[in-house]
Order: sequence, then C-alpha cells, then structure tokens
Amino acid sequence: MDNTGKEKEAMQLMAEADKKVKASGSFLGGMFGGNHKVEDACEMYARAANMFKMAKNWSAAGNAFCQAARLHMQLQNKLDSATSFVDAGNAYKKADPQEAINCLNQAIDIYTDMGRFTIAAKHHITIAEVYESELVDIEKAIAHYEQAADYYKGEESNSSANKCLLKVGHYSAQLEQYQKAIEIYEQVAMSTMDNPLLKYNAKEYFFKASLCHFIVDELNAKLAIEKYEEMFPAFSDSRELKLLKKLLEAHEEQNSEAFTEAVKEFDSVSRLDQWLTTMLLRIKKTIQGDAGDLK
Amino acid sequence: MSSDFETYEQDFGTITAEVTNKIGRIPKLSGEEKTQLVLNVDKQLEEVRELLEQMDLEVREIPVQSRAMYNSRLKSYKQEMEKLEKDFKRSRIAYSDEVRNELLGDDAISSEGQLIKLREERAHLLDNTEKLERSSRRLEAGYQIAVETEQVGQEILSNLHTDREKIQRARERLRETDANLGKSSRILTGMLRRIIQNRVLIFVLGAVILLTIILAIYLNLRGH
Repeated sequence: MDNTGKEKEAMQLMAEADKKVKASGSFLGGMFGGNHKVEDACEMYARAANMFKMAKNWSAAGNAFCQAARLHMQLQNKLDSATSFVDAGNAYKKADPQEAINCLNQAIDIYTDMGRFTIAAKHHITIAEVYESELVDIEKAIAHYEQAADYYKGEESNSSANKCLLKVGHYSAQLEQYQKAIEIYEQVAMSTMDNPLLKYNAKEYFFKASLCHFIVDELNAKLAIEKYEEMFPAFSDSRELKLLKKLLEAHEEQNSEAFTEAVKEFDSVSRLDQWLTTMLLRIKKTIQGDAGDLK
Repeated sequence: MSSDFETYEQDFGTITAEVTNKIGRIPKLSGEEKTQLVLNVDKQLEEVRELLEQMDLEVREIPVQSRAMYNSRLKSYKQEMEKLEKDFKRSRIAYSDEVRNELLGDDAISSEGQLIKLREERAHLLDNTEKLERSSRRLEAGYQIAVETEQVGQEILSNLHTDREKIQRARERLRETDANLGKSSRILTGMLRRIIQNRVLIFVLGAVILLTIILAIYLNLRGH
C-alpha cells in the first residue's frame, strides 16, 4: 500500500522535474536563474529515485538517478554527478546489469578525470564482480580487475592491488592463460614474502604458481619449485610442497593412482577448493593423456 | 659386632629373594617338583628364622645409643618373614587347587581357564587398540582444525593489511583537508576584512559627497 503510494509520488516528482528542466531550456528561464531551476530539478529527481528505491522499482530508480547525474554534469558539479551515477549503478545492479555497468563506467570516467583513482579502482572492482556473477563474462572481468590493480598500485595500496591481481591470476588460470597466471602469482608471492603480516600467505601463492607451471610443463615445475624453496625456506616445510613432490613423482612414473592417492591424502587434512581441484584434474588428465600416447 | 649384623642382613636378603622366587613358581608346578620345591622353601624359611634370632642377639649386644636403628631394621625383617610365610601358605593352598584340577579333569578346565584368560587378554588388547585409534582420530581432527585456523588467520591478516592501508590513506586525506580548511578560513577572513574596508570607504566617500553638497548649497545661499 505504502509502496504504490510512494511510486505515484515518485512519478509525480519526476514529471515536475521534467517540466522544470524543459522550462529552464527556454531563453527566459536561462536568463532568470535557470540554474536555480535545474538545481531544484536535480533534487527532485534524487528524491523521486529514493522513493522508487523504497518501492523496489530498481530500474525506475536507476533511471531517475541517471537523469539527476546528467543535470549535475550540466551544472558542472562533477562530484555530485559521479555520486549520482554510482547510485544509479547500484540501483540497476539489481535489475539490469548492463545498464549498471554503463552508469558505473561513466562514474569511473568522471573520477579518473578528477584524479580520484582509488575510488575509480573500487568501482572497477564492482563492475568486475558484476561481470563475474551476473553476466559471466570472465574476460571483461579480468580486464577490469587488472585496471583496478593498476590504479591501486599507482596509489601505493599494494594490498588492495594484490587482492585484484590474485583474482586476475585466478581467472586467467581458469581460462588457461597459464603464463600470465604464473607471472602474477610469482610477483604477488615475492612481494608478500617479506611482509611479516602477509608472509603466511606467500606459501599459498607459491603453491598456486607451481601448479600452473606444472600444467604447462613438468620440468618447469621442478625448476620453479627449487627456485621457490631457495627464496623462501618456510615453503619447504609446508604440506603443499610435499604434495607437489609426490605429484611430480607420480607424473614421472605416469602413475595416476599414486597421484589420486596423494591428492586424497591432502584433501583429508584440508579441503581442496574448486580452483585447486580443476587444476589438479587438468594435471591428472595430462598424465593419463601421456599414458594413452604411449599405448 | 655390627659387621656380623650386616653379614646376617645380606644373607637374609639373598634367602628371602630365593624364597619369593620359589613361592612364585610353586602354584604353576605339580607333583614331584612341587613337593621338592615346597620342602626347599620350608628349609629356607627355617634358615631365615635362625638368622633372625641371631640378629636379635647381636642387637642386644650393641650399646644402647645405636640400638634403635638396628631394632627398627630387625622389626621390618621380622615383618617380611611373616609375609613370606603367609605367601608360602597361600601358595600351598593354590597347590591343593592344582591337585583338584588334576583330579577333576585336567586338560579341559585348565585350558578353559586359559581360554578365559586369552579372551580377557584379547578384550584388553582390543580396548587398547580402540583407545589408540580414538586418540589418533582426535589428533587428526585437531590437526585439521589447526590448518583451518591457519587459513582463517591468513585471511584476517591480509584484510588487516588492506584496512591499514585504507586508514593511512584516510589519515593523509584528513590532513590535507585540514590544511585546506585552514587556507579557506584565512581567505574568508581576508574577504571579511576587505568587505569592512569597502564599507568604510563607502561611508567615507558618502560623507565627503554629502559635505560637498552641503557646502555647495551653503555657498550658494551665502552668494545670494
């Protein structure tokens, strides 16, 4: 009951705001404080959008916010415009992902123009998440994550940059862009190695890098593992390294049972997540594939 | 004097050890060996009793001061001997149990006894194995939890790091804002000053003009 009432009110406000904008378009309005009218219209659009949000009419809300944002641009209020675009993006996220991405892109343009790269990076991450979940366009998601990581690096927030890079690595490995994934994981691992807070993560990253090496070529994996052990002695104690060594052996002997057993053993102690299982499965297929070739 | 006592003690020690050994063996044997062993033990017990009597005499010859220690030792030896005699008697009763078993069907009952013993032992061992398994399972669970804790810890640490950077950035921005606010307040005071200056100027000018007009009118009136 309340919601439909709110919607009607919101519609009314929109209509009024539209009229105001049109009115100010004419010459006279422009002369006599047209700006004043436009500002009022902006405010009314914002209020209307909020009411649409209350009524859960997300696309209408997004639309209203977009209008408000455009008006702000006219008034040269870049900051307000950007915030309105972000609000529009959030509203559209629930209804129309593509529109949301458009709005967010516009907001990002404004922010980068103003030099606020951290916020732009944050919005890149939001867009990438939308691509990840709703539109399932992994390549674009990777592109956005990369962009975000670059911006974060520019602003010296290495932790956030690393977070984005990890996601890039994650998805590139899934898309079989192993070389890129290897570089990323190595880079991140090396930068976290020294930091006392983060060094417990480093061994995980080395592990992932080694797995990617493994998929590409077994010899690479061996060399890489030796290199990592040298660089980071704590790596040698980890169970992950032991698992890797067992896998290498099994691969040499083309013994897929030993492989499965080693994996099961590791799994019993700490569950393997989806990415790891996919990678290990690919490695296993290479073993079986080799065996098939021999036949 | 006391050296004699010590020799007696040593003999006592050796003989009692032998006796205990033999008493332990008695219930398990039967027939000829047993009777022989029993006689043996009897003889040794006699020896022990003689030893004790001699020790008693020795103690009486010792001067009063050191007597207390030797007395207490003697008492403990007597107690030990009594215990040995009791054990011996008990073992002889067991001896008669053995005989009854022999009478009532040697192999079956003793082997049943053995079976029961075996079953008990097996139950005991199974119990142990179960305990071991339980503890190893618990250890594994503990290890898993430790690994999970480590992972959670990793995540928390990296979150903390990110947050730290955010806070640092926010602090920087705050300082900048502070400086900007200072600047703007200075500009505003400057503006205020200028406004006051302008107003004063206007009043002064207004006053001058008024004065000039009054002067002009006055001169005009005077001129007429």
